[in-house]
Amino acid sequence: MDKVIGIIAANYDTPDLETLTHDRTIASLPYCGRYRLIDFALSNMVNSGIETVGLVLPYKYRSIIDHIGIGKEWSLDKKNGGLFILPGSAFGISASTDRFIVRDFGRNSVYLHRSPAPHVVVTASNMVCNIDYSGLYEEHLKSGADITMVQTVAKHDNEYVSRIISENGRVKDVIKGVRKGEEAFIDSFIINRELLTDIIEGYKAVSYSDMFQCLRDSYDQLNVRTYDYDGYVKSIFNINSYFEGNMESLANEVDKALFCPDRPILTKEQDSVPTKYGRECEVRNSIIPAGCKIEGNVENSVLFRHVVVEKDAIVRNSIIMQDCVIKSGAIVENAIIDRGNIVGEDTVIKGTEEKKFILPKKKD
Amino acid sequence: MKRNECIAMLLAGGQGSRLKALTKSIAKPAVSFGGKYRIIDFSLSNCANSGINTVGVLTQYRPFLLNSYISSGASWNLNSRDGGVFVLPPYATESGGSWYEGTADAIFRNLEFLDIYDSEYVLILSGDHLYRMDYRKMLKNHKEKGADLSVSVMQVPWDEASRFGIITADEDGRIVKFTEKPAEPDSNLASMGIYIFSKDILVKALIEDSTDENSDHDFGKNIIPKLLAEGKNLFTYEFSGFWKDVGTIPAYHETSMSLLDDDPAFVLDDPEFPFMSNSNIYPPQYIGANADIKQSLVANGCYVKGTVHHSILSINASVDEGAVVKDSVLLPGAHVEKDAVVIKAILGENAVVKSGCTFGSGEDDAEIALLGNHEVYEGGQQ
Repeated sequence: MDKVIGIIAANYDTPDLETLTHDRTIASLPYCGRYRLIDFALSNMVNSGIETVGLVLPYKYRSIIDHIGIGKEWSLDKKNGGLFILPGSAFGISASTDRFIVRDFGRNSVYLHRSPAPHVVVTASNMVCNIDYSGLYEEHLKSGADITMVQTVAKHDNEYVSRIISENGRVKDVIKGVRKGEEAFIDSFIINRELLTDIIEGYKAVSYSDMFQCLRDSYDQLNVRTYDYDGYVKSIFNINSYFEGNMESLANEVDKALFCPDRPILTKEQDSVPTKYGRECEVRNSIIPAGCKIEGNVENSVLFRHVVVEKDAIVRNSIIMQDCVIKSGAIVENAIIDRGNIVGEDTVIKGTEEKKFILPKKKD
Repeated sequence: MKRNECIAMLLAGGQGSRLKALTKSIAKPAVSFGGKYRIIDFSLSNCANSGINTVGVLTQYRPFLLNSYISSGASWNLNSRDGGVFVLPPYATESGGSWYEGTADAIFRNLEFLDIYDSEYVLILSGDHLYRMDYRKMLKNHKEKGADLSVSVMQVPWDEASRFGIITADEDGRIVKFTEKPAEPDSNLASMGIYIFSKDILVKALIEDSTDENSDHDFGKNIIPKLLAEGKNLFTYEFSGFWKDVGTIPAYHETSMSLLDDDPAFVLDDPEFPFMSNSNIYPPQYIGANADIKQSLVANGCYVKGTVHHSILSINASVDEGAVVKDSVLLPGAHVEKDAVVIKAILGENAVVKSGCTFGSGEDDAEIALLGNHEVYEGGQQ
């Protein structure tokens, strides 16, 4: 894969994650006990052998930089290649979920010009999956396509995800919103570097648009093809998909698909001590990372680092983020407790299956 | 290069043969402890937290795991521009080569290394002890006393005193007598094998010792008595926290189990003085729908689907449905299969207890059952 460089698009937001993304970007959303969403995109790149990765960041980049640093955990702290932090454009991003804004690439064309690699793998940063791009690369070379897009069969209707309309593997159109059973674009593609440079140049006037929106008139001239991916994938755009995705990770098959030892999902290393389980705790069907103290009851839940669940506290069907304390006698059910909260003694926090209760991040 | 005031030399060459199967393929400092650490982590973390950024690690016995584990030293923040961690195995010169013959010989043969860093003081440590210690306090004491050599000491139970180097000191802490492993100790002040030397004194003593044919080239047996006889300024530095040399399987098991106490004597979690380790990045733990877990320590990468009581599960260990683990330590990657029972046992790294088998015994006088690294227990003799 030395002929491929990567770009991870992280310069977008959605209002539908409510307070979870007030102080962080989608890409830095905590996921599955110890990860951030960006870990999946970054790890997929390096596990596929891509050693030069540009990361297009939004204005709210503090939480991402805090997490990624110089890319040490992904072995991207290199003399040649490695991690490149690319500033995203600030235009119109607040309400848009467009992932591949042409201007974001244009602002960083230096990154593309400096690399001798002829191909670029581009991915969004909120798709939870474990994909090996070397299959995509081989297929792309074999077919001689200009662009090859990764698609999967949609398991649900999804207004946020794009639908690929194709004939015999040739893309005819890409439109917003997909229905169950249709071909869904999982926001990963490979493109010839020179073509990407041409697109940046050619669509300057409408550079605030998503690249695939710009290309809508060109699918009969460009050879854009599809590549089928049938592994697990979860796109995180709103509270429900975020909650579902975390809960799905509790299932053995999802866990195995996402965290296979051959292609580990890498994340920031922490010096947390092992988790201590108390004499009277009851823990069932839950994901718990190191650094927690569990004295109470935890069921069907995902906890993050340094969470304390005191004696006689109950946590059920919930996500409890880093540094939270659930005090003795408290009950938390169908809730997302964001970072740093203390749920006081005998306090009851209950959402419903349909509408999770969200306790926003505690301000420092 | 900025000159460092004090560098550390960490002795990590010992086999630790009394740990039996645990040290069959790796050196004692590389043995896993406390769920996510290896024993050498504690000394390396102490160095890093004490502002010592140059550490020579003297290896000899089965060094591969130690070498790869220490790597660049970055895991302990020891990959600085002015220092770093350096693995120092025995090497050959124009006059030939041989193994390190004793603790003092190991340092003697790396005098060149000491010269390169040319620090004023040299801290000499064992890589196989469990403790949390700020060496800066010991160094401060060394300077205040105007010592040539400071020996870190602690009170030990009288009945254990004959296992240690035993020291008699006057009121000011000046060492007046030192006996290595006395049969009938007259003091219970034991050397912890932690020394700070003023470098010039150390170099001179090592050079002289190297030509002494009757010497075992050992700090406790030879160097300290020699300096004492010469009338050098030897002082104690008294330490009162937790310190343990887990030299045997029962001691290893007992010390591990003590981590599960409500107020453990050895506190792993101290954000002010954290123990660091080079752990691969594993997923969080998964505790299954029918699991029963109590009074246990569990590291990342583990899954628990059976019963785990009063036990330690190290990185990537796993307990299948219906299995029972009690009063045991599972080292990294150990696996207890479906319906198996493990009691009062230590399972080595990547060891497997096969489905339905019982390993270990809960009877009061039962010895600690030990399954070596990568071994598979399929029933029969333990």
